[in-house]
Amino acid sequence: MVDLTRVQKELQECNKDVEVSGIRVAPKADSLIHLIGTIPGPLGTPYEGGTFNIDITLPDGYPFEPPKMRFATKVWHPNISSQSGAICLDILKDQWSPALTIKTALLSLQALLSAPAPDDPQDAVVAQQYIKDQNTFISTARYWTEAFAKATGVEEKVKRLIEMGFPEDLVRSILEAVGGDENLALEKLCSA
Amino acid sequence: MHSDSIAANASNIPAASSNAKDFVKKKRVNRSAKLKQCKLDARREQWLSQVKNKSGKEESNGGTIGQPMATAGNRMGRAIEKLEIRPRVEEENDGGSVHHYSDSESPSNSPMSHTGSVLGGNDSGTNSSSSSSSSSGGCCSGSMSEEDEGGEGGCLDDWEAVADALAATDEKQQLHIGSAPVDKNIAHFDSQSDVDILKEKPENGVSVQRAPVNCRAWRPDDAFRPQSLPNLSKQYSFPMNSDRHYGCGGSVWGCKNAASIPKSCPICYEDLDFTDSSFLPCSCGFRLCLFCHKRILEEDGRCPGCRKQYNYDPVEGEATLDGGSLTYRLGRSCSMITRS
Repeated sequence: MVDLTRVQKELQECNKDVEVSGIRVAPKADSLIHLIGTIPGPLGTPYEGGTFNIDITLPDGYPFEPPKMRFATKVWHPNISSQSGAICLDILKDQWSPALTIKTALLSLQALLSAPAPDDPQDAVVAQQYIKDQNTFISTARYWTEAFAKATGVEEKVKRLIEMGFPEDLVRSILEAVGGDENLALEKLCSA
Repeated sequence: MHSDSIAANASNIPAASSNAKDFVKKKRVNRSAKLKQCKLDARREQWLSQVKNKSGKEESNGGTIGQPMATAGNRMGRAIEKLEIRPRVEEENDGGSVHHYSDSESPSNSPMSHTGSVLGGNDSGTNSSSSSSSSSGGCCSGSMSEEDEGGEGGCLDDWEAVADALAATDEKQQLHIGSAPVDKNIAHFDSQSDVDILKEKPENGVSVQRAPVNCRAWRPDDAFRPQSLPNLSKQYSFPMNSDRHYGCGGSVWGCKNAASIPKSCPICYEDLDFTDSSFLPCSCGFRLCLFCHKRILEEDGRCPGCRKQYNYDPVEGEATLDGGSLTYRLGRSCSMITRS
């Protein structure tokens, strides 16, 4: 059974200094087993300006077992799967210590973003690109950050869809129905 | 002398205990955690079984833990009584306790005695405590282990109160410990006697000569109760003395250790009680509660602080600082875990 007392305290602690760390953790639903962590892309990296969401699932043995973490936001990085968001990081595996917390793990993810380790890749394609053609890697990573990690306001999406020729009230209702996903909304608008 | 003081103590027990129990109860009310209670119960059982396993003589202790007043043996009685008086002393004023020690040990402080008379209800308790300490001075070296057992039995009763006091004064204690080795009486130089000396310093210049006397007088306390709780609460009431302690000790160790004792377990976030915070399972200095430690031993057995394998030998380094008493407890804590 997960130590919920500890998880609760961790959440409190973490959300106390969001302004400083930029790291948030929030429960996904009512339970404290599934959480969503948010980290800002580190400055001076292709991920700068992006906000990355991380799916966190706490195993029964937490904190004696590492939390399961996965990038929910698509990210181009040698140690993060560009498909699934799976993360290759030692402290989330054999180097986990119960003295670590969700917040410190998220901080480690942030550090991983600024210091890729291509020798121990999760995504071989990205790692190859990182090693052989770093400029391309940087521009791809930056593009992915722009495309997936930057939250655009609803108004901006509405504006773009209206510019495509759809009526505003329909755009708004469909955007709301699909949870703000611009691409899904576009699909629905086209098929409507 | 010996039997006299015991008799006096016995007569004082009921009065002292009722006060002390109120004090403890107050604390209990403030405590939110049922968890904590469970933890304490479990630990109590562990200690009990431990004690019983040691030898036959401890069986009487098992009984006294349940009802300390009814069946306390001579030494048990003394230990328990001191235990219960101390919190009360602390409840009163600092001035009161200053007076009590000087009253029994040096006439030069007698002008202070008006404080004592003001605290009328307290007099019987403190008198007996000072007399018992002086009378038992002789037996401390001879029957150390036995005294220890008795002391622990007594401690259990006031366990929670101690844990509270301890959390607040960990830092102070470490400073005291650090300064101890400078003194000749390394083994028995009680932190409490430290406080005594310091208290008296501002009052008169004789304090330096009197210091060894104090040490000897309080030595039995150490022998009786290595985890003597009241010592800590007493230090708590003289926080300003820590600077001076530090100066005379000149101990880097004390400082380092003081900084590293957390108030709650970094794993489960529960408050560390006295046993927990004197439990140092790894040389890296990472502290955690016994429950989390046990859990880790059941799995990979690596220290959360440094990721190295726990070795089952306790770390002796800090124990020597504490003048021996901690060594004893560390050994216990560890054996408790390996045994279960």
